[in-house]
Amino acid sequence: MQIGATDSMGDASVNNSAAVKTSKPRGINWSYSITSWLGFAPFFLFCLLFELLPAVMVIQSSFVNSETGAFTLNNYQRIFQEPDKLHAFQNSISISIVTALIGGIIGFIAAYGIYNLSTKWLHNLIVGFSSVAANFAGVPLAFAFIATLGVTGFITTLFLNWFHINLYNSGFSLYTFAGLVLVYIYFQLPLMILLTIPALGAIRPEWREASTNLGASNYTYWTRIALPILFPSLIAAMLLLFANSFGAFATAYALGQGNINLVPIQISFVVNGNVSLDTGLGNALAAGMIAVLLIAVMFYTAMLRRISRWQGR
Amino acid sequence: MEVSAQGVTQQNTANVATSPKYKDQTKRRGFGFDKIILTLVLLYLLIPLGATFIFSINDGKNFGLSSFQSIINDADFITTFPFSIELAIATTILMVILITPTAYWIQMRLPQARPIMDFLTLVPFGVPAIVMAFGLIQVYGSPNTLVSVLSLGLVPFLSNQLNVVNTPPLLICAYVIIALPFTYRPIDNNLRAINTRVLTEASYSLGSGWWRTFLTVVIPNIWPGIISAALLTFATVMGEFTIASLFSIYTFPIYLDVTGQNDAHKAAALTILSFTITLICVLGIILLIRLRPGGAGKDSQIEIGAAK
Repeated sequence: MQIGATDSMGDASVNNSAAVKTSKPRGINWSYSITSWLGFAPFFLFCLLFELLPAVMVIQSSFVNSETGAFTLNNYQRIFQEPDKLHAFQNSISISIVTALIGGIIGFIAAYGIYNLSTKWLHNLIVGFSSVAANFAGVPLAFAFIATLGVTGFITTLFLNWFHINLYNSGFSLYTFAGLVLVYIYFQLPLMILLTIPALGAIRPEWREASTNLGASNYTYWTRIALPILFPSLIAAMLLLFANSFGAFATAYALGQGNINLVPIQISFVVNGNVSLDTGLGNALAAGMIAVLLIAVMFYTAMLRRISRWQGR
Repeated sequence: MEVSAQGVTQQNTANVATSPKYKDQTKRRGFGFDKIILTLVLLYLLIPLGATFIFSINDGKNFGLSSFQSIINDADFITTFPFSIELAIATTILMVILITPTAYWIQMRLPQARPIMDFLTLVPFGVPAIVMAFGLIQVYGSPNTLVSVLSLGLVPFLSNQLNVVNTPPLLICAYVIIALPFTYRPIDNNLRAINTRVLTEASYSLGSGWWRTFLTVVIPNIWPGIISAALLTFATVMGEFTIASLFSIYTFPIYLDVTGQNDAHKAAALTILSFTITLICVLGIILLIRLRPGGAGKDSQIEIGAAK
């Protein structure tokens, strides 16, 4: 996933190659063109077999009765009829929105803090650490949080020994929706920081000077100049965060061992042979996930287009 | 998931970087609201790591490396850890073999395939690992006419003759796909950064063929991109849980999950081990970015590939 689809250097080289092409004697050279596409065939075939067909299969089978093979919309109807399936979607969507918003807003402010650092090595150290943290996810992350805030976790014990507060008696639990939010934020924050720092780099110092010269306050500068320019980048980044947590399975599974009701957890139940679920319903759930993510991708690409218009990318 | 927001902001960043006077005047020094939030965020990111580390060396009452010792003596660890390393190496090799020539080919001969390539590298974003694993099990596990026709008969061959469903080879292929969004980009960016066309034409004019040019001229020039893609793939496979769990293949992350249910201290030690692998791979990438042409001194792009 990437913000800012091509870099200027790359564009130049593409233009060059186009120029070289047109300078050749014209007339369609079929054998050249067929050979060109044949060179792409092995990779495309690989993607077809292991990337595109699984998605096609899931979508096609979601409209089919898994016993009779006839066309049906029953699989989708069941999502709305069975409360836990509908809940799974509500939970998945709300956890993604909540973590994208919290991670997005706090991550943006933290990124601005990094951007303002005048010490170069500290700046590099924090950005480097953020990329390590953003890559630290899944089962190990869940266990890191269990070791920190679980029933016998480090911080839990610390609160008990120092302040005589038992977190788990005062209503906190890591194994609930709120706990999962806390864990997801761990990979959302650094991701937001990494996405935002380059966007902040596009803000020109001259703009602040110009607005200050014209009498703008710091508040006016942010609300009238900086935020409107950054807005599409921030929304695009937050859509990535949304997708990032919507598809997450390992972290939630390792934390709750399947007790937190999310769509990926429900799909894993289908594979592991839970009686109340059949393949058709599983496919409908999976196709539903694809549909939600497709909407996110559409907004994301729309935001990228806005970024290119605003910042001349 | 790749996060590269590099690119066109480069010029602007460069302007800012070359005029430190501007920077000092306009950036707000001191310890403002943003710095407070930044400090809290860093604490939030560091505390779980520190707590896990203490948890791993504190076995109940005494401090020591007993958790690490019991891991090394664990029969399941001895089988799953090398197995995951083998999977990671196999995935990395397959990824490099598939993507590098394709990226070079597209750059030189087939720029019109770029939109297709962009689409293919975007698909794992819309089809998460859990859905992809569920789809793969059905594609190779239950016969379907539409899929057989669309795959030109390859799926029936793979599923009936080679019986690939739920096997490590299929797992490796799935890993190459989930790694696509962050493996193609660094290699492609590196290809764009060197003057591929001039290098190729020079090599051709000296009498080399396509493969010789590719292996002896292009590869040595883009190895930082290839190695960063490889390191990220390696780190991802070492931590990938979702697909292996659906395929019921006993890999290192699955072992980590099973152990964690019984022994929190052992789980903490394994978490530290897992974090160390990620740390080494990402540090390797950061160092390599500095070696890339024009890569140093900027807010360089860092790809995110973790399997969540």
